[in-house]
Amino acid sequence: MISVPRFSVKVLATAAMCLATSFLVLLSVRGIAASSSANTLAPPESFNTITNRRQRSVALFNELGKVIMSPRCTNCHSAGDRPRQGDSQRPHEPPVFRGADGMGLPAMRCNVCHQKSNYDPARMPGHEPWAMAPVEMTWEGKTLSQICVQIKDPKRNGGKSLAELVPHFGDDGLVGWGWSPGVGRTPAPGTQKQTKALVDAWVKSGAACP
Amino acid sequence: MTALSLTINGQAHGPIEVRDDLSMNDFLREVLGMTGTKFGCGAAQCLSCVVIVDQPDGSSVTNPTCVVPAVNFAGKTIRTVESHARDGKLTALQTAFIEHFAFQCGYCTAGFLNEGQVLLERLAAKRIPRAKLEQTILEALDGHLCRCTGYVRYHQAVRDVILADPARYLT
Repeated sequence: MISVPRFSVKVLATAAMCLATSFLVLLSVRGIAASSSANTLAPPESFNTITNRRQRSVALFNELGKVIMSPRCTNCHSAGDRPRQGDSQRPHEPPVFRGADGMGLPAMRCNVCHQKSNYDPARMPGHEPWAMAPVEMTWEGKTLSQICVQIKDPKRNGGKSLAELVPHFGDDGLVGWGWSPGVGRTPAPGTQKQTKALVDAWVKSGAACP
Repeated sequence: MTALSLTINGQAHGPIEVRDDLSMNDFLREVLGMTGTKFGCGAAQCLSCVVIVDQPDGSSVTNPTCVVPAVNFAGKTIRTVESHARDGKLTALQTAFIEHFAFQCGYCTAGFLNEGQVLLERLAAKRIPRAKLEQTILEALDGHLCRCTGYVRYHQAVRDVILADPARYLT
């Protein structure tokens, strides 16, 4: 006969209290607002409770990581010469390749299918221009910490200063497409405006990396 | 609705009122009755639907029609598979496809033919060394799907046309 352990109500209540306390401690260390879910972004102000400047900066970048790790970003910041597609991040079909300028091979340019805007009847995403991120800017397979270091490196971020990263995330049209990707694709978390505010706050807090 | 005008196989078409969400493939097949352009996967993954787009700079590219709205072709000059043979006389590429038994059902042939034609024109404009020919053909035909005869026979047919006139295509 199998014996089933029995716990008193008092023991169970104590265990539940410990779990809840641990969760709250974790949240406060990460500085993430309780309202922030996987599909939303916490505003920069919600990180002001973190008094340590470096920890606040890291927390801001961790929040920004929800966008950076989104398939809307990593599919074209993919490793190698072939982009990925869809929320499942499968290899792009038909097989297409980076090409000399990141816009495809001569016989298969990106813009023959990806036109100026999304074409939802065919579930075809579009924006002008449409291109893979340069090979030195690949994010796929890297940790958020590695990506953070890479983003700050002018040799691997298109020669941008930290201040210039703010409009790249916040105003660039192709980056903005990530929040309007058309049918069948999950938008990047939050909004581009919220992302811009997070990048701005991260840069102003010292641009620390996790 | 948009009034669409474009040139197809040297003939002006339009203005024709079309829905803004009408695909170019439906425009060719259903509105104009030009059924040489096939509808395959509907997702630009088989490329049986490509047409040739002639660019203002004299170069040409293939363009899928199943995933692009017809209105995006406004003002453009395109060629479909119906443009190849003239007065019943097949082109060298068409003849090579037949001689190599490159196709069986023929559903993908229009796409391969257009892609091969664009490659021939590209090489005629800028010749390449013989050593690069195999890779160039591979890259040009890449993405076109064929479920019958495979891809080798198409490749061989295109290669034969080029090697039959090396001074035109090769350095």
